[in-house]
This record gives sequence, structure tokens and C-alpha cells, in this order.
Amino acid sequence: MRRVVVTGVGALTPMGGDAASLVEALNRGFSGVRPLDTPWIQSLASPLAAPVTVPVETRFPKLRRLMLDRVAQLSLLATQEAITQSGLDFKSDAGLDCGIFWGTGMGGATTLEHAYIESLLNHAARPRPSTIVMFMTNSSTGQIGIEHKIRGPSFTYSSACSSSAVAIGEAFTAIRSERIRYAVAGGGEALLTQGVMKAWESLQTLARPDPEHPETSCRPFDKHRSGFILGEGAAALVLEEEASARARGANILAELVGYGNSTDAGHITQPDVGGQSRAMRQALTQAGLQPGQIQHINAHGTGTMVGDVIETQAIKSVFGDWARQIPISATKALHGHLMGATGAVEMVVALGVLRTRIVPPTAHLLHPDPECDLDYVPEGAREIPALDVVMSNSFGFGGNNAVLIARRYQP
Amino acid sequence: MSSLPVIQKMLVEEFGLTPEQVHPESRLEELGVDSLATVEFMFMLEDKFKLKMMGEPVPIKTVGDIAREVDIMVAQQGVTLGDGGSPP
Repeated sequence: MRRVVVTGVGALTPMGGDAASLVEALNRGFSGVRPLDTPWIQSLASPLAAPVTVPVETRFPKLRRLMLDRVAQLSLLATQEAITQSGLDFKSDAGLDCGIFWGTGMGGATTLEHAYIESLLNHAARPRPSTIVMFMTNSSTGQIGIEHKIRGPSFTYSSACSSSAVAIGEAFTAIRSERIRYAVAGGGEALLTQGVMKAWESLQTLARPDPEHPETSCRPFDKHRSGFILGEGAAALVLEEEASARARGANILAELVGYGNSTDAGHITQPDVGGQSRAMRQALTQAGLQPGQIQHINAHGTGTMVGDVIETQAIKSVFGDWARQIPISATKALHGHLMGATGAVEMVVALGVLRTRIVPPTAHLLHPDPECDLDYVPEGAREIPALDVVMSNSFGFGGNNAVLIARRYQP
Repeated sequence: MSSLPVIQKMLVEEFGLTPEQVHPESRLEELGVDSLATVEFMFMLEDKFKLKMMGEPVPIKTVGDIAREVDIMVAQQGVTLGDGGSPP
């Protein structure tokens, strides 16, 4: 089996325009949650979301963005950052040996909603001819290939909130099993549209806005939590076979060592201790690690009443007494829930923890829930010397669970 | 009156091309305007000037081809393109 290393990361999130600003903003407790500045927001019970606020559309020539939904634009920008950092040029033969593994929950939600409004409400003669190629879920995947001339296999994963964690895990598996040498893996999501937000609101999973401090409305593991805040963004990793990275003198950021994936097979929305535990155990087994070697977990931690309790129980069932020793962060409190992109975003955060040895806080956790009684780092960012192994959990509607483990690279 | 100046102005505004690029003989593919973008553009023209494309699509390869197609539609449908602004 080949070893798999990370040589590039990129992220465009509500916290900022690159991966470094995401990690830095989390550690200082900056919240990307704010009222959306759009006229239709009045039709929603809560105006809160976590939008990307740096310029996006203007970074593409007009002719190029004619075929790019916002999700593809976010995906391309995050990917560009990761590939630039890796130093790889896939226009060369390396592009033949590189795969694209991309996750998204909804694909081009903005394009689809616009087409529906034009066709069904405004009775336009027809939607734009590029509607299909902009909203199809593999649009970002294809555009990443076009932009960078990546010509190996490509896959698009859509498993709700675990989509991009699955993408990274499957890319890891493909390199590990010698199918390809390089991979661009991650995911994007841009679903802050009126119809999609109203549908989420109807599902009763969105956080109640705090009247005085709306930016603190998402409170994972807090007794008074009420759900999550929808966010948008994208994150990408460049994964590479270790020997290849070393041979070209690449800056190796971390090593991916474990991936677990399981299906609850119980309920379409209710999470399951058994399913989550199986994914964590699989990842540990593949990594050849004992539970006591995990030093940090980026929790799925959405801030729903049920979800946070189930994840706490699952962590306890896997880690036993060690569970109380692990600093666990639920960073969705600050960057929002980026749905199909969130697994990749949180993996970028976990890799930032490896780099800095600083664990970000679970923000807004002021009133601990007795049923959520682990160390969620509520006090603020915490420095942890000799932190070398991290886990990131992503659990999706539909019952898919994806868990990734990375460690500090040692030749 | 030819629709060419209007079309050239719209290509500059909608697709970010430069006035120097949009000569009548300029090939659309070479400007980065592929077949899908060309259809997008024809539909923009339809919407903006209330034109209606009729019959079989004709091959459109150049900026001038678009103008010729639009000129035929304008003549058949008695539509006025209005002020397209100065030629680039």
C-alpha cells in the first residue's frame, strides 16, 4: 500500500478567502454568521446564514462565468489555491495520473432555482440554454478538470453533509491502492437561495436567531442549542503518493492515514451511534492506530438536539475512557454548516490544527448539556504541545458516515 | 440598417470581449465563444429585442454570421433594434 500525503490545501469560506484565514479566524472566535443582505430574506423566519463575503464572481472573465454556477466558482477558487500550493502542474503528464474527487449536496442550486422562477413564475419562453450544465451535480468536477487539464478518473459524491469527506476518503483510497498518483479532492456548496433555505427551515433544523448576538446562534453541545446555520463555500486538498511528493521535493503538509465509511441503515435523518462508531473504528483500523492515539477530533457537531448527543455517545463507545481526554471542536458554530463542502472544510481545519498545534474552540458553548459531557474546548483556542494525530467526523442525512484521520508526516 | 454594431456592443458588454476582437470576420470559437455560448447569445438577443428565432438553426461561425441572421429576423418580423450605441 502506498502512503498518501497532502501537498496542497485551499478553502473559500465564510471565514475568509483562503485556508490560512479560515484557521486563523476560527482560533480567534470570529463568526461568519450574519443576516443575509437580500430582499427575499424577509420571507424566512430567520435571516441568518454564513455566506462567503470575499469577491467571487468578479474573479472570472465574463465569458468563463457564463457556464459557472456559484458553486463551481467557489470550487474552482479553492482548487486553484490547493494546486498552487502543491506546486504541481497537471497540464503536464501528471494530469493523466490525477483524479478528481468532488463532493456537493445540491450542485448548482442558484441556477436551478433561477430556471424554475423564470419558467414557472415569470413564464419565460425557456430557461437559459446552459441551465443543465450549470446545475448538474458534476458540473464543478468537470470544470475543475477543464481548468487544470486533469485527465484521470473523476467522481462526484453526493451524500449530503458527508459528501466532501467521502470524496477525500475515496481519493485517499485510490492513491493508496495504486490506482492513481495524484488527486484533487474536496467539495463545494452554494445553496443560500430562497427556495432551499425555506426547505431547510421547514425541516426544523435551523438555529433560532439570538436576538442580541445573532452571530452566536449556533451552539453545538450547549444545553440551549437549536440547530445549525446554513453556510456556503468550498475546500480542496491535493493528495499525492508519498514517494512522488518526496522525489519532487514537495512541501508535505500531513499524511492521510485512515478513512472509515458506514451506512446507518436506520432512518433518513436520525443519526445512529452504531453507524458513526463503525466509521470511526474503520478509520482507526486502517490507520493502524489505537483509540488512545487520537489527540483531537473535529466533530460533525451541527448543534441539533439529537445529533450532538448521538455523536457524543458514539465517541464514547469508540474511545472509552480516553474520550474525555480528547479535545473536540465543533467549528460549525463559527463557519456554519457548509453541507456538501463541510467535510472538506473541516478537514482543512483539522490539518491546520496539525500545523499550528492549536485546537479551535467550540464557540458559544456557555451552558453545557449534561448529555454532552466531553471536552469540547469551550473556553477558546487551546495550544496542545506534541499534537500529531487528528480525526474529522462527517455524518450525512441518508445515514452516511465518513471519518478521516491525518497525522504529522514523518518520513 | 445592419444589426452589426448592436451585436458587437453586446458581445463586448455581455462576454467581456474587447472592441478590437469583435470584427465581422472574427471566428467565434477563436474568441472563446463556443456553440453553447453562441446559443446563449442568440437567446439574449431574442429577449432583449423581442425577436423570435424561426425555422432551422443556421451555421453561425463568425460575428458577421450573427449579424446576418439577426438582420433576416429583423426584416421578417418588423422589429427595431433600437439604439445599439456607437460601433466599437
